[in-house]
Amino acid sequence: MSSRIENHPILGKPETGRKVSFTYDGKKYYGFEGEPIAAALKASGVMVHRYTQKEHRPRGIFCAIGRCTDCVMVVNGKPNIRTCVTPLEEGMTVETQYGVSSIMQKRKAE
Amino acid sequence: MKRYDLIVVGAGPSGLSAAIEAAKCGMEVIVFDENKKPGGQLFKQIHKFFGSKEHKAKIRGFRIGQDLLREADSLGVHVQLDATVMGMYMDKEITVRIGDGIQHYKGDSIIIATGASENMVTFPGWTLPGVIGAGAAQTMMNLHGIKPGNRVLMLGTGNVGLVVSYQLLQAGCQVAALVDAAPRIGGYGVHASKVSRCGVPFYLSHTIVKAEGNDCVTGVTIAQVDEQFKFIPGTEKHFDVDTICIAVGLSPMSQLLKMAGCKMEDNPRKGGQVPLCDKYGETSLKGVFVAGDVSGIEEASSAMIEGRISGIAAACSLGYITGSRLEEKYQEHHKALNGLRQGMFAPENRGKILKKTEEGIDISESLLQKGYLTADEIEKYPGVTHQKGIHPVMECSQNIPCNPCQDACPKKCIKIGENITSLPAIDEKAQCVGCGMCVAACSGQAIFLVDEDIGDGFASVTLPYEFLPLPQKGDMGTALDRSGRPCCQAEVLNIKSLPAFDHTNLLTIKVPAEMAMNARFFKQI
Amino acid sequence: MYTINDRSRDIGEFIPAEDDDMLICRCEEITKGEIRRAVHDGMFTLTEIRRYLRTGMGLCQGQTCSRLVKGIVAKELGISPAELEPATARVPMRPIEMNILAAEETEAI
Repeated sequence: MSSRIENHPILGKPETGRKVSFTYDGKKYYGFEGEPIAAALKASGVMVHRYTQKEHRPRGIFCAIGRCTDCVMVVNGKPNIRTCVTPLEEGMTVETQYGVSSIMQKRKAE
Repeated sequence: MKRYDLIVVGAGPSGLSAAIEAAKCGMEVIVFDENKKPGGQLFKQIHKFFGSKEHKAKIRGFRIGQDLLREADSLGVHVQLDATVMGMYMDKEITVRIGDGIQHYKGDSIIIATGASENMVTFPGWTLPGVIGAGAAQTMMNLHGIKPGNRVLMLGTGNVGLVVSYQLLQAGCQVAALVDAAPRIGGYGVHASKVSRCGVPFYLSHTIVKAEGNDCVTGVTIAQVDEQFKFIPGTEKHFDVDTICIAVGLSPMSQLLKMAGCKMEDNPRKGGQVPLCDKYGETSLKGVFVAGDVSGIEEASSAMIEGRISGIAAACSLGYITGSRLEEKYQEHHKALNGLRQGMFAPENRGKILKKTEEGIDISESLLQKGYLTADEIEKYPGVTHQKGIHPVMECSQNIPCNPCQDACPKKCIKIGENITSLPAIDEKAQCVGCGMCVAACSGQAIFLVDEDIGDGFASVTLPYEFLPLPQKGDMGTALDRSGRPCCQAEVLNIKSLPAFDHTNLLTIKVPAEMAMNARFFKQI
Repeated sequence: MYTINDRSRDIGEFIPAEDDDMLICRCEEITKGEIRRAVHDGMFTLTEIRRYLRTGMGLCQGQTCSRLVKGIVAKELGISPAELEPATARVPMRPIEMNILAAEETEAI
């Protein structure tokens, strides 16, 4: 389900870049070039960007302006990329971040 | 190391205004901003601003941003985007991250206009995806064209909470409720009324018990709190929402000033840590100035004036203008700034409970607790009269510094007078022609055109309408009252959209005559 | 006459509270209980709390939690947040990779 605003009463139709594809956890997704990665993910209904290091709790978009760093993901193999301020490019590899890497860790042993 | 007459940190309303004034004085100015787009928060502000003409009233925030950028550009101001100022050191030196490198710049003067950051509150589940800041919601919907959620609960009824709630409705989201731990709505009554008449309930003296969901928000529970902000058992209410939006205030982002060694104070009235500064915005460090929210939380309108003041002061500090010229210009800006700092929401009234307006009219408790004026209360205000034929009904009940309605009326039906915060009154001698300019000019969307008798026992009500899809002439629907409750059937008589209205459409509906003073919103079937 | 930072001052016992497991620092995942306990362990200033627990030392550099931590520490000390000395502000203002922080260019563009 897309959450894009097709037509806005004040802003009209949003200006977008060209449609590009990227992968999110190995699956193909589409978004618009130049929009934040987080926006493209949100438009496709993705809420969880990462699981935290200590408690393995899910996190997603929180401030959307690059301050809180909660939306960081592994982008093109590089961890800790703030997806809310990083522009989407054709062919990007976006992966859920577990702690500080894209490799899912075992749940906290308890 | 590159040297500039003036370095401005932050390309928001105050930073750009400062750069413009300084450049006008002949300074070589560079502005750094960490974002990819300039304008700070202005481009997320799609509502019309309050104030008077000189404060750019009734212009939408993002258009003010566009104007500032154009002006800065024409004056040769260099705005360097995607450039994060990492630190500020002795002797007005800064380090900036541009691309994958760090560069040093030195300013003969520096203006810090870094703005503010959002405050947060904690509750179980506050780290779940779906709990977002109000600023995040604005960024997503107004900059990136993405709905922050389908069904949203807003925590906080200050102006940010109210304005963002309305914007969520405009973006096509549902707003389940507005919640605030305080017993009274914090923002302007007119902003609350805009949301209320769309049917969004307010829960004052309530706060969030917990956000629910495993991997993201699926619901929220709120409960009433007592005077010590402790939950009252048995008052819990649940809402199915996918998004919780937090709008509980802002803090000045003043770390750069602190690290550079400016004398700071912790001032709760200004929102937190702010630099001590003189009337021109100069800090304890000579040649280092501040403007906008970083020196105390206010609004974009005042931030722009503060920016202009610090811009000319920086120019004076380097000898680009004389001290007497500075004083002259300062007086002019100071007067404009003072104008904005009047009325019920003036800094000195912060936290006070006012009982009466400047005119001596009781302040509506319903407005402060539920977000709307009752049908009885409305009759007490000078903007509400009953006349034959079409006439404006101005449901403006708080003294706020705003007067575009007075200038908007070509027939001079509306009087505010010298005092910008006075409630608008009707000049009964003047003849309303029903042009609707006042309806579109009112930033608070509090003016309606009413004809109490259009024949056959019907009345017409013209209301500001900023939603899509636009109703069409002849459409039938439901009229909602000020609280958002359905009050009668309504037929669309006309919808008027002029360029001069700037996207505020004028929707005229036909309702039974007895509903003329109740019907204030239209819901399509 | 005591001062706020007088460590011999009696601030009472640490009393566990219901919301002690509330996460405060989102980046470093530090709870309210940990912060309160740190005060009773003798960390009276925000700088000490930071060094002791790493609150505000994560990726966001305290953008979100500074104010919250300040409120908790002040309450534990029985003072108003405004009386508490603010945490030191340091470079860098935003998260940055070490290789970039170290890559200072001598000539600006």
